[in-house]
Amino acid sequence: MSGAPPQGLARTASGAGLWPSVSRRRRAGNWVFWALCLVALALVITPTLWMVAGIIGRAASHFKFSVLWTSTNNLTGGLRQPILGTVVITFAAIIIGGVISILTGLYLSEFSRHRGERSILRGGYEVLAGIPSIVLGYVGYVALVVDLHWGFGLLPAALVMTVLVIPYVTKATETSLAQVPTGYREGAEALGMSTSYTLRKIVLKAAVPGIVTGALVAIAIAIGETAPLIYTASFSDLAPSLHLTHQALPYLTYLVYFFSSLVQPVNSANILANDAALVLLVLVLVLIIIGRLIAARARRHAES
Amino acid sequence: MTASTPVAEPTGGAGSVPSPRAGGSLRAFVKGGGLVRWTGRTGALIPVLALGFILAVLVVEAIPAIRYNGLHFFTKSIWDEGTGYNSRIVTTNGVKHLTGADYGALPEIAGTLITSAIALIVGVPISIGAALFIVERLPRRLANGVGIFLELLAGIPSVIIGLWGALTFGPFIAHHITPVIARNMPDVPVLDFFRGSTGNGEGELTSGLILAIMIIPIVAATSRDLIRQVPILPREGAVALGMSDAQTARKVTLPWVGAGIVGAVVLGLARALGETMAVAMTCGVALGAVSSNIYGTMTTIAATIVTYLDTAFLDGSGFAVRTIAELALILMVITLAVNVAARLMTRRVSGTPLPIGAGF
Amino acid sequence: MTKRFRLVSAIAALIPLTVLAAACSSSPSSTSSAKMVGPSLPSSPNKKPTVITETGSTLLYPLMGEWTEAYQKQFVTSGAKPAPIVTIETGGTGSGTGIADATTGTVNIGASDAYLSSSDLAADPHLLNIALAISAQQINYNLPSVKTPLKFNGTVLAGIYTGKITKWNAPQIAALNPGVKLPSMTIVPLRRLDSSGDTFLFTSYLNAQDPSAWSASNVSTTVTWPAVKGELSETGNGGMVTGCQSTPGCIAYIGISYLSKTQAAGLGQAELQNKAGKFEAPVPAAITAAVDAETASTPKNETLSMINGPAATGYPIVNYEYAIVSTKQSNGIVAEDIRAFLYWDVHTGQSGTTYLDAVNFQPLPSSVVTLSDNQIAKIGA
Repeated sequence: MSGAPPQGLARTASGAGLWPSVSRRRRAGNWVFWALCLVALALVITPTLWMVAGIIGRAASHFKFSVLWTSTNNLTGGLRQPILGTVVITFAAIIIGGVISILTGLYLSEFSRHRGERSILRGGYEVLAGIPSIVLGYVGYVALVVDLHWGFGLLPAALVMTVLVIPYVTKATETSLAQVPTGYREGAEALGMSTSYTLRKIVLKAAVPGIVTGALVAIAIAIGETAPLIYTASFSDLAPSLHLTHQALPYLTYLVYFFSSLVQPVNSANILANDAALVLLVLVLVLIIIGRLIAARARRHAES
Repeated sequence: MTASTPVAEPTGGAGSVPSPRAGGSLRAFVKGGGLVRWTGRTGALIPVLALGFILAVLVVEAIPAIRYNGLHFFTKSIWDEGTGYNSRIVTTNGVKHLTGADYGALPEIAGTLITSAIALIVGVPISIGAALFIVERLPRRLANGVGIFLELLAGIPSVIIGLWGALTFGPFIAHHITPVIARNMPDVPVLDFFRGSTGNGEGELTSGLILAIMIIPIVAATSRDLIRQVPILPREGAVALGMSDAQTARKVTLPWVGAGIVGAVVLGLARALGETMAVAMTCGVALGAVSSNIYGTMTTIAATIVTYLDTAFLDGSGFAVRTIAELALILMVITLAVNVAARLMTRRVSGTPLPIGAGF
Repeated sequence: MTKRFRLVSAIAALIPLTVLAAACSSSPSSTSSAKMVGPSLPSSPNKKPTVITETGSTLLYPLMGEWTEAYQKQFVTSGAKPAPIVTIETGGTGSGTGIADATTGTVNIGASDAYLSSSDLAADPHLLNIALAISAQQINYNLPSVKTPLKFNGTVLAGIYTGKITKWNAPQIAALNPGVKLPSMTIVPLRRLDSSGDTFLFTSYLNAQDPSAWSASNVSTTVTWPAVKGELSETGNGGMVTGCQSTPGCIAYIGISYLSKTQAAGLGQAELQNKAGKFEAPVPAAITAAVDAETASTPKNETLSMINGPAATGYPIVNYEYAIVSTKQSNGIVAEDIRAFLYWDVHTGQSGTTYLDAVNFQPLPSSVVTLSDNQIAKIGA
């Protein structure tokens, strides 16, 4: 690794022999600095590997693929309902949040000309990004579950998650729209295309990879959240249904904590918690790979 | 990709290009972007409205707690919802609460700040060092591979990190690392904070280190992207002046992207302040208690909200839940201040996309 | 952003949300027909399919799940494809959530490890706490060299948790355990700083046994523990088990549900002195004896602390596990189905081998079952 040439920069301290008196001290200093940086890199990689190995190791000894579609039955069985719950909550949040975010990003980037208006709208979603998820969960419980008498259910859970994902998708939309060259829009106008046509077919299309990448981040976040769901979705082992309110629903992150040996003394539950953690890890990996593929494709398109 | 799409203009002809003043016809409204603009504006209002809704709920819930708890809330270390099972509901200054209710959130506030500080002190140098090594020392292909680790670390759900912290990492450092530190640390002010009972792996240091691990992907990925953008000329200049590449990195590259990195650090700080599950599972959730050393159990605002909310419901006067709202409001004010600071700092660096959250 | 803007936007945000809520909360109340079902104790659910929701205590969660599963299997619709008549949705995040959600009507049944406090009842007088089963708390320790169960009383435990007794071979402990060779190890008291019903039970016992050693003001779910050198804090029963396992010389209070885990961890289980002065282990006979002696004094609303009870051979830290239910349900059919389910729980569901043994709970004595029945009959619409 250390033999690799630094990018774009000729190695300097290796010019030994030019100033022998300084060279040794300098070379030592250089070596120490990069050694420390390497240690830092190792400190980034080690916990990640440790964690991943831990998740796999804990689940591997008993993991069966049938867990994925076997029904959860109290503290035993499989993960079917929690997987469905996570998928449905995430899907709902991404659909609602995605529409709101793309509209917001589009309006901010393409239409809003008033500076004050822009700073309020942009400030709105940027401040949302800074609200800790547990605070959203608290508000969701107090306002939606109790005060509006919705009870636990998909709707309060999905709305809280929507608020959570909006900043990410909006930021991605706005940034990628801003990166679409003005030339595209001018060219379309010169060809006599209508504004809405230009937006749909040219501007948005060019921004799609960026928006999708933002949406992937949002999906990863929605899949991995626990705190805002505990008091909005609560938990049950019923599969999600068309009841938007008054039906608590399961999700994977709940199992990771509440079925773990920290909370439940029952072995079959602990096993399910480990399986749920593994499934979440795999989901995250899949999202990362999709993100990379999209980025690579977008780069190829940009280069061609 | 645009050229291949035939332009399907139903009316055809150049003269039909709608002008903004083409009458009030619906078609013109749609084609001229009026519909998109109108829908867009409606959509863009929703985040602002949601924010207003959240703030309104928190403030309305918290006002009675603010009035009863007073300024002591910031200076006292006590967490007592009332005198047990037989406490009555009484009213003080129009606020309903249980007899003997007494709340002071000093441990929560201090714990939030201290764990986040540990996260920054440990996480930031590691992130920057790793970023420098990735850019300056690794071939591009390998750097890409290493990037996966950052993305993975950013993507692992916090509850899984918490489980790992509680079952694996915490006990590991409590058995193999902290006893050695505690034994060898000199008994002088500041450093004696590292002496004494090392506990069982649940506590301040474990939570701080877990948070460090969680902010690393944010800070490292941003630093890496920023460092990549440093132009070659100033660095070549440094080399021409006789600097070694370590010196170039420290004296030229890092200052060049300094403001951007500070912005990323502050964003990482915002994440650390608000992190809930990972901390709740590793800090011990010691309500109303301040740890005497860095290893002891403690709590943060977010961890208190998620674990104590259940007990707060037992308070028939509803006051405990209101106190949680006050805690949530304090946390929001802290994180918002940090976020505003981050935006002010990052705005100064042009061309740097704001790295929200994960290191994708 | 100005304050006024926030206010305006808050109100504006409320409007669509309320509309949404109205659209979505098409609650099952529309099914309530003119047929008014009077409070009774049905042994099977109403034929109309309903959904009953339950949430609360994580200790009761496994048992609720077992009951629900069996109940849904027993009462199914007739026809080619039998489906459960009543769908029961169980969840578990904590006792407080159970009580709060039963109060607000968010769920039908709240599961709780503790009875309602006077303030809970003041907030909603329609709430009932219905005893479902009996739980207990064990005192565990990690002393590999000691094979015989150690004996403790409230005074000695309070001495340990206040730092007055610091060594395992202290004279106070030796006096209770004649003939046992005690090591000279330092005692590591494990306590919980998170809010917990287990802490409430434990501190209740200390105070009941020796009010001078442990004051009543320190009986709570969150306790300001006296500073003891070397003490450790744990989170949850699970944390207590793993913490005690890895800390030789520790002492801890752990729910009886965790019996299989404490045994697997090789922890010792203490015998506790009861009010009559006898030392008892938390075995089924001693737990049942403790409750039997209380049946006569159990009030109609089943609100009773059984800590340090009068039974001569009873274990001193026992408690009821409760269902928290409001007497005002959304409609008569739901109320009828709740009555049927709870009635089933306190009769069929009391079978030890089928349901309770898995979580180490004990069945209710028959006189307490009657009290529960009387309360269940009050659930109406």
